[in-house]
Amino acid sequence: MAEEAKRPESQSGAVKRLKATATASAYQKEWFQKTKERVEAGEPFGYLNADVPMEVLRAMDIPFVVNQWWAAICGAKRMTKKYFGLLRDAGYRDDLCSYCATAFAESLDPDDRKLDEEGKPMGPWGGLPDPTIAITRLTCDCQGKIFEQFAKNHGSALYTMENTVARKVPLKWFDKVIWNDWEEFYDKDRIDEAVEELQQMIRFLEQETGKMFDMNSLEKVMNLINEQELYYNKTRDLIASCHPVPVTVVDTINAVMQAQWQRGTEWGRDHAKSLYEEVKALADAGVAAVPNEKYRLMWLGRGIWHDFSFYQSFEEKYGAVFMWSMYLAMGADAYIRYHVEEDPLRALAARYIGMEDFLHMPPWNSQWYLQQIEQNDIDGVVYMIPGNCMQAVEGSYFIKKAIEDAGVPVLIFEADPVDPRKWSAENMRGFVNEFIETKVIPNKENKK
Amino acid sequence: MSIRECALKSAAFSRLKDVYDNREQEIKKARAAGTKVIAELGCDVPDELLLAGGLMPVRVYADPDKELVQTNKYLEFSFDPIVRAQFEKIVDGTYKELVDALVVSNSTDVIIRIYLYLREMHRVEPEKPIPEVEFIDWLFTRNLLYQQRNEFLIGLFQETVERWAGRKISDEEIREAARVCNADKAALRKIGELRHGSEVHINGSEALVIIGSAFFMDRKEHTKLVEEVAKEAASWPVINAPRVFFTGSNQESTDLYDKIEASGVVIVGDDHDWGDRFYDRDFNLEYTTRRAIVDCYMLREFSSKKAYTSQRVEALNREVAATAADGVIFYMNEYEEAASWDYPPQKKSLESQGKKTLCLAKMKWPMSKNDDFGDKLSAFADTMKGGA
Ligand code: SF4
Repeated sequence: MAEEAKRPESQSGAVKRLKATATASAYQKEWFQKTKERVEAGEPFGYLNADVPMEVLRAMDIPFVVNQWWAAICGAKRMTKKYFGLLRDAGYRDDLCSYCATAFAESLDPDDRKLDEEGKPMGPWGGLPDPTIAITRLTCDCQGKIFEQFAKNHGSALYTMENTVARKVPLKWFDKVIWNDWEEFYDKDRIDEAVEELQQMIRFLEQETGKMFDMNSLEKVMNLINEQELYYNKTRDLIASCHPVPVTVVDTINAVMQAQWQRGTEWGRDHAKSLYEEVKALADAGVAAVPNEKYRLMWLGRGIWHDFSFYQSFEEKYGAVFMWSMYLAMGADAYIRYHVEEDPLRALAARYIGMEDFLHMPPWNSQWYLQQIEQNDIDGVVYMIPGNCMQAVEGSYFIKKAIEDAGVPVLIFEADPVDPRKWSAENMRGFVNEFIETKVIPNKENKK
Repeated sequence: MSIRECALKSAAFSRLKDVYDNREQEIKKARAAGTKVIAELGCDVPDELLLAGGLMPVRVYADPDKELVQTNKYLEFSFDPIVRAQFEKIVDGTYKELVDALVVSNSTDVIIRIYLYLREMHRVEPEKPIPEVEFIDWLFTRNLLYQQRNEFLIGLFQETVERWAGRKISDEEIREAARVCNADKAALRKIGELRHGSEVHINGSEALVIIGSAFFMDRKEHTKLVEEVAKEAASWPVINAPRVFFTGSNQESTDLYDKIEASGVVIVGDDHDWGDRFYDRDFNLEYTTRRAIVDCYMLREFSSKKAYTSQRVEALNREVAATAADGVIFYMNEYEEAASWDYPPQKKSLESQGKKTLCLAKMKWPMSKNDDFGDKLSAFADTMKGGA
């Protein structure tokens, strides 16, 4: 317990134990300030939705911020209440698309880049600089509308990319075959179309920024990403094999998510390496995140950015550890694409077209979760569905059925990953307590 | 005599209304005569191809009285309530009995999910009474790359239609079917003129019947009947009521329009897929068949689901101007959220032109589930009258 006392506590109330998490947090703040300086010095600046192939901007050295990352920062800074008030005042509904609309709401804030009476910045980290470019993919009906209005408020040029639906749906995408044989895995016409889309995006960026795209830079970026994600793969495998686990999702979600947005940089690769080495050192030393680990829980859904301590609420009482989230596991399984040197754009196309499918399309999501449950010895699954996001509606029936048929209990509930107004800490903890007591514990006892 | 009374005295209108009210009757007749029937979920399934293959296209519609036993099991609550009710009929065996196959077009994100779920149900629960499902993955962003991809996808869809038809479909057959569809749209435009021309002779409710009956009957017969109604309606009395444009959720029945028009306004135009949008754009007979299909469906007036806000602002301005509406009713069902992002700029733009607006958002479906909003309608109608 003395060790617990030393752990740094975040704004969202959770206790984090990894240096890699603290390093990532510190780095992202420093990186954001440097980005602001670059923008102030007149460099172009991109604002991207998470599913946009950001590798292109990385290769062109165009600084960018990712919408979901920024929403998480705003959430952690407890800005969302203010922002949804601004939406309401401007005549918008305040109960829609909280995750994606946070930055649009922020763009309505006249104080975003001002200082308060004490000289402190009023917006998160001093507010978001005006992007020159805003890019999103049309993976739902609302995304294009929100981004367009965000772009208008900031005076940014808007670019959108379409989303295609897989006709070919081979099961078990997570088998490593996809790293090598993605040409076999996807519909060829989908990859062809995505390559052309990337070429159009490159032309748009060249025209908007005056910078020229360099295929060699993209190849370098893609290779760095492969290295980075391979460390996530090793980290995930390592955690899965440890009983008890050396770290929990509170450690890994932030460490991975923050570094994922830096993917394609040496810092991103090195950070993933340091994460692996740190977790390995803990594992080698036999350190347990929760010494009384009895039940291993999987978290399905986006992170609860405003209440990370939620994940730790069941450790002491039940020895129940949230040890799996998609943030590390997606890095481990979904990003790596080899044969980059043959055609870097095609390799990138084969990465970004699948992201939506892996997460939101049955059977790819359900089959992957099953495989992960097995690999990680999961005893129970807690599954959060955001009530106001159609894109995140991903076949919860099929996911629940597949997992329960495999003998693992599932708790499903609706909540909002960004908006604390829709989060009752007490109720949510109550649901999970009950789930552990009535499902997870008896189920494990029965298996003995 | 009221327009409703005039309409019901018209044999042509009565026949359309009979089909509209009894949507299965023509389907059953067609199947009994050996015609294959294909259900459409989403408004972007090219009827021209189905008709060219000798197949009968029909729209999937929701039954407001049906208990959602299957739907509650399979769908999350954030699905649009009309789609939820449509889904019930697709998975409970209703459509398996009624049609030979189902085509889903990705006219909205919700429907894409429905396709993914149905495909998965076929895989994991093959015993479920669900018809064969085909999907058309349209891309609606207006760009040459997507236009060309759409042409490729329509080629794939044509192969499926040929399998259902049991034969190859020639370009001439597609053109012939397109002529039939174009003629129907031309007839509906005459109704449109009577609805929003300088004199209004047809109200919104009747227009819904006239348009919507096309989804459940032989298209040539529909055209003939619509032509007849158009001729007769020219001498129906002029409706002197404030002119309102309706934007928002699909209206599969006339209930809401009846209620709105009972408040003393007339709905002179609308932008949903069970209304004017159906006959918005012709198949261009000078183009190659695939290009013409893509042109027709990709370039129709922007739907609220597949357009940027600025496009929707302009589209609504255009439609309100074309129908000479003095006011606009925004009506959005709960969980049918995309249009909510367009609403504030649309309202601002309309009000800057002196148009009155009423917004009814987060509405429950069916309409009867809402607390009575008659007062809001009356107040709006009063404002309209005051401003008219
Ligand atoms: S539906 Fe979901 S993915 Fe789409 S904009 Fe809203 S919150 Fe974002």
